[in-house]
Amino acid sequence: MKRFLAILVVMVMLVSSLTACGKKGETDPEGNSNNSSNIENKNDGSSSEKKIKIGFVPMTLNNEYFITMVNGAKQKAEELGVELVIQAADDHASAALQLLIVENMITADVDGICIVPSSSEGLSSALQKVKEAGIPIINLDTKIDQAILDEVDMEVPFYGTDNYAGAKSAGEFVVENIENGIETAILTGIEGQQNAADRRNGFYDAAKDHVKVVAEQSANWEVDLGYIAAQNILTANPSTGLIFASNDGMAIGALRAVEEAELKDKIKIIGFDAITEALNLVKSGDLYGTVAQYPAEMGKLGVENMVKLINGEEVENYINTGAKLITADNVDEHIEYVSQYAD
Amino acid sequence: MNKSISGKKDGKKIDLQSLTLYIGTIVILLIFTIACRIAGKDFLTVRNIQNVITQSAVIAVIAIGQSIVILTGGIDLSVGSVVGFVGILGGLMIKAGMPIGLACLIIIAVGVLVGAVNGSILSRGKVPPFIVTLGTMQIIRGLTMVLNSGKPISGFPDGLKAIMNTKILGMPISILYVFVLYAVMILIMNKTRLGRWIYSIGGNAKASKLAGIRTNRIETYAYIICGAFAAIGGILLLSRLSYADPNAGSGYEMDAIAAVVIGGIAMSGGKGNIGNTLVGALILGMLKCGLQILNVPVYFQTIIIGLAIITAVYFDKSKERKAE
Repeated sequence: MKRFLAILVVMVMLVSSLTACGKKGETDPEGNSNNSSNIENKNDGSSSEKKIKIGFVPMTLNNEYFITMVNGAKQKAEELGVELVIQAADDHASAALQLLIVENMITADVDGICIVPSSSEGLSSALQKVKEAGIPIINLDTKIDQAILDEVDMEVPFYGTDNYAGAKSAGEFVVENIENGIETAILTGIEGQQNAADRRNGFYDAAKDHVKVVAEQSANWEVDLGYIAAQNILTANPSTGLIFASNDGMAIGALRAVEEAELKDKIKIIGFDAITEALNLVKSGDLYGTVAQYPAEMGKLGVENMVKLINGEEVENYINTGAKLITADNVDEHIEYVSQYAD
Repeated sequence: MNKSISGKKDGKKIDLQSLTLYIGTIVILLIFTIACRIAGKDFLTVRNIQNVITQSAVIAVIAIGQSIVILTGGIDLSVGSVVGFVGILGGLMIKAGMPIGLACLIIIAVGVLVGAVNGSILSRGKVPPFIVTLGTMQIIRGLTMVLNSGKPISGFPDGLKAIMNTKILGMPISILYVFVLYAVMILIMNKTRLGRWIYSIGGNAKASKLAGIRTNRIETYAYIICGAFAAIGGILLLSRLSYADPNAGSGYEMDAIAAVVIGGIAMSGGKGNIGNTLVGALILGMLKCGLQILNVPVYFQTIIIGLAIITAVYFDKSKERKAE
């Protein structure tokens, strides 16, 4: 038992020291517990009146996209002097966990909630609770299904992009810039998710008459599965010339497979999300392009308009935050833009 | 003493049973070769066989450790999280300029540590392995997120990629790793006392204890071995992708367990041959690869793989059914 305790202590020490290294001086109070992660961003504002407290619920905090969104929201909160309580489930598709988070936030007396629903459906009980509590809610990034909103009889402002439109812009770029009839493979996200379907369909609808789709495989949004799927697709279709991956992780996996097959000169890869590594790879010419959305804008708009709502002002019901394809032509510009929201 | 005799008998029985496994492998190989040929694609080429082994390498390596743990009658659900954790940890260390070799050693040490913690709690504390490793699986995944605030790491030196992407005699080096690691472990399991003790604990823990085997310690060793192999799997994945993703390895524990049971190791422990785990991992890899080459939609892929797991174990048990 003593030995085990000793081991445990050593492990805790090791981990905490490593965490400290990893943070590079910045002491952002971030924690990640078993089922939910939470970050609190308290402003030591000197105002004596009760400060506005906004609950912010991204889908997860496990990926750069939502971290960027949170950073945008934090900057806005700081600027406006409001308190932001951030909590997220650690699982992409957990509507149940989000309900729990929303309930806890209501108990903790937040004045309003910005939420990225973990699935476009299945959030009705959470909405019902918010409605009962009588606090405003803003929907970011992934639109809550209209049927759900009708069911609870609520109107919720939505600020975000349409995945379909983003993927369509990639498809249109391909139609304009790449030769007709190029053999194309599509890597899709988790089957059954709305955003996975939207990204696939957006690209497909725009490009289907121009390219020849030879393979379509799901790689669950994951890098390693993207690598394996791309390797197998290349075995089956050695003359593939274009790979559209529905997120950058799978695009990076596909790139590794293409590199290994020594086909880098012959195959163009397009990703989606414009994460840092993908932007670097676009800059170095390894990726052909990646679709950028503007998560930081969503976070900022969410906080800004929530404050307005709490103060009883009118807000826009829908803001399209836009999406565009980042290629070698505009990558520098975009890297500069996102650097404002990096940690 | 009685114990070791029955252990030998089991060994023979499994040799016979494992023939069905090899026949199954060849049948799957033939089905895909023919189906792909009809579809105008190539399946049975040297290149693709190499691909299947490379694609299965990480799971195959993790499954070595999982086999050992399952042989003791336990289970380790934390291996997938270890893969993710050591990826981010290694990524941070290598990015900070640490020599890759040293980083790899520290990674393996971390795997050993995780195994020691798992093993100590479950053997001394008598907490069921499923519960302990279910807990550590979540804790380690959480720590992975904390380590780098949930972000991936990229932009590694070429030396990292070289671990996995070097060729030896025209063969991807990952194939060599897999065979060497299996060879070492098969030797340990068949030729050393540790190996015999592990089989013995899985066969009958109480009798083993009465026979003077320090069961707690041996059980802990099994989890340490498992943690170490999970960490090695993590290094291979990190190197292959040259990209550290905090979500990496999620679900690998299930793939590893599937490889072990397809290979014919009994979930109750004590029976089975570790070499067949490799065959199990390759069957899984072959199924995924073949179905993707045929461009089968993913819904059907999961159905087919699920059926394959049950079928494999069903045939494997045919002898036991007859005996009853």
